[in-house]
Amino acid sequence: MAIPDSTQHAAKRRMILGIKLPPRVVWTKRTRADFRTGMFFLLPWLIGFLTFTLYPMVISFYYSFTIYHARRLPEWVGLQNYKDLLVDDKFWLSLSNTMYMVVFAVPLGLLASFLCALLLNFKVRGQAFYRVIYFLPSIVPTVAGTILFLWLLNPQVGLVNTMLAKIGIDGPNWMADPDWSKPALILLGMWGMGGTIIIYLSGLQDVPVSLLEAAELDGANWFQRLWHITIPMVSPITLFNLITGMIAMFQYFAQAYVISGGDKDHLGQPLGSTLFYSVYLYQNAFQYLKMGYASAMAWILFVIILLFTLLLLKVSDRYTYYSG
Amino acid sequence: MEKKIFNVLCLVVAAAMLLVACGGKSAAGPEVLRVWIQWGDNPQQIQELFDKYTAETGIKVEVTAPVETDKILPALTGSNPPDVLVLSGGDLAKSYYKEGLIDELSSAIKAGNIDMADFYEAPLDQCIQADLTLCLPWGTDAYALFWNKDLFEAAGLDPEKPPSTMEELVEYANKLTVVGADGSLEQIGFIPNHSWSHSDLYVRMFGGFWYSDDGSALTANSQPMIDAMTWQQQFFTQYGADNIQAFSSGFGEYGSPDAPFYAGKVAMMVEGEWQTGPNFIPALKPELNYGVAAFPPPADHPERAGTIVNQGTAVVIPSGAADKDASAKLLAWMMSPAIVAEEFCFNANLPTSKKAAEDPCFKELGPKFQVFVDLMASPNAFVVLTTPISLELNDAMIAAEERILLTGADSKAELDAMQAEFEAKLADSLK
Repeated sequence: MAIPDSTQHAAKRRMILGIKLPPRVVWTKRTRADFRTGMFFLLPWLIGFLTFTLYPMVISFYYSFTIYHARRLPEWVGLQNYKDLLVDDKFWLSLSNTMYMVVFAVPLGLLASFLCALLLNFKVRGQAFYRVIYFLPSIVPTVAGTILFLWLLNPQVGLVNTMLAKIGIDGPNWMADPDWSKPALILLGMWGMGGTIIIYLSGLQDVPVSLLEAAELDGANWFQRLWHITIPMVSPITLFNLITGMIAMFQYFAQAYVISGGDKDHLGQPLGSTLFYSVYLYQNAFQYLKMGYASAMAWILFVIILLFTLLLLKVSDRYTYYSG
Repeated sequence: MEKKIFNVLCLVVAAAMLLVACGGKSAAGPEVLRVWIQWGDNPQQIQELFDKYTAETGIKVEVTAPVETDKILPALTGSNPPDVLVLSGGDLAKSYYKEGLIDELSSAIKAGNIDMADFYEAPLDQCIQADLTLCLPWGTDAYALFWNKDLFEAAGLDPEKPPSTMEELVEYANKLTVVGADGSLEQIGFIPNHSWSHSDLYVRMFGGFWYSDDGSALTANSQPMIDAMTWQQQFFTQYGADNIQAFSSGFGEYGSPDAPFYAGKVAMMVEGEWQTGPNFIPALKPELNYGVAAFPPPADHPERAGTIVNQGTAVVIPSGAADKDASAKLLAWMMSPAIVAEEFCFNANLPTSKKAAEDPCFKELGPKFQVFVDLMASPNAFVVLTTPISLELNDAMIAAEERILLTGADSKAELDAMQAEFEAKLADSLK
């Protein structure tokens, strides 16, 4: 039966970004009272959100078009901060250092944590013990973990280079070498990937046994079952881990700050190889007191993250399987 | 009944809030003053020092030390900043003044009757911008050459005779460097940027600085700057930057008995006066056989002997301080020679007051510490000049220095780039 035009129009109106909205609420005295009660209970969060999230975001957007003077009124400079950023070598250096981490650390971390989760999913003796062992590093505070790695990777007395020397390899200077400082940080990140492993493990346990058994009966070997069933079934989890990992990596700060020893003179060393985007943003805001410039950086980062997330969501349509 | 109780409770809460809001300041002046000290190794001792002010005036002083830099900015922009703030250096004072966060001090100096002639000129210079006094120096540091007498003897050098020129220092460094059979370093004579950059001292030795003397122009690519960087570069070229990096990475912690100079891994170093004080070498490595002397000048400029570059604390009054008179009185008290002597004798740092320097307590710190006290009066005493862009320029300079020393980048090209980037920024910041 053909749908009348007006209904079609209404149906169109009730869609946003392809998402169907719930039917329009008819306001009665009762629903109004319910709404008020709901809002009242929502108030603590709402106040927090408006004060500590929305307001800072809006005001930082305004500041990004100004020279921010701490006690005096900000001075409107239009797009100047954004123009200055485009010709700022340190901005591009920090962005490329950050992209390096996003491109290498995130996929490597995902692959490693998926493989670990697969191993930890094998029903073997001591399975729970192994799971705890792999998860433990992720509860070590970032600062402590990073300092620990500084010791492990110490070129002279560190365990890693000592072991490498035993097998005849002359280990690199790690954190003191601009070519090795980022790989060293990637290693540190992979050591603490317990959280991602746990999420993968829960996903692996949701893979329907019936499918795996059916495939096995059809003669599929372990790798074929993994490739054609397990990996597609956990693809939404991969997407989730990929997006959250990517966002975290774009905001990479704490480890880079700790390896400087908290000394502002050592931030970004060696040779600017650990000057990440958030580190440079922090320098501009709190060391050089260029809050407007730092706000512009923050908004550029927001746009970059947004674009990458949308891109991943778009591309993932083709590769992600939602069983529901 | 319940409603009555509720109303009474509301009234009590409102009254309490009103009392809190109105409290803290009486008509006779503040009952409590707050002092924040960015640097502060001994918070308890500093509090005890300020308790003397309480004993004299009845005004309680709450000291917070140390305070992280990140916390200072929100405090200064907020409604309740500290009454007096002690910064680690004049560079921050200049930036804060530019942002309207701290006061110019001439009225406080006048009100507190502070004797400006009593300050050593060099540390005071860090606080001056044009004819404005933005901070007052409290304690300061100076750097000189430390040498390990035992290693000198082992290398066939006279242990009582430190190098007398920069050229001789290079020669001595070569003799004091021990390279193992595999080419790795086992002992090094001198690392110019150990434990941090000392370019300020070297560039003064070559007769200049990265700012003009009045701080109004950038001279980052001047000949003294190029000479200072190239002079440092030779150590890295000779032993290999990677070799030095690998060797340095095995150094013990700063301020521990395994620190490289204490452990005999580094034979000569540029370090500050506190090393001779009770918290460092005498406590951590009492048996260390070492000497201290002014860093030597270049051979063709003997008149630059006794050059030091001061760098030290700077006291400011936040522009949002509640009672400026009370802040000024406390500032004047802090600057009195007796208080300066007590504070900096305890920490084995240099006083910025000439009268304080005469206090016998500094003599009691020993002849090595006295080398630094004497250097304070040197005609070649300078300070690390600061401007509102000091912090940003400092980071750029450290990055350039890294490239020059570690990758062998050309000093002139690096410094030219720095000059091009910051020349206009400095001019802008001083408008």
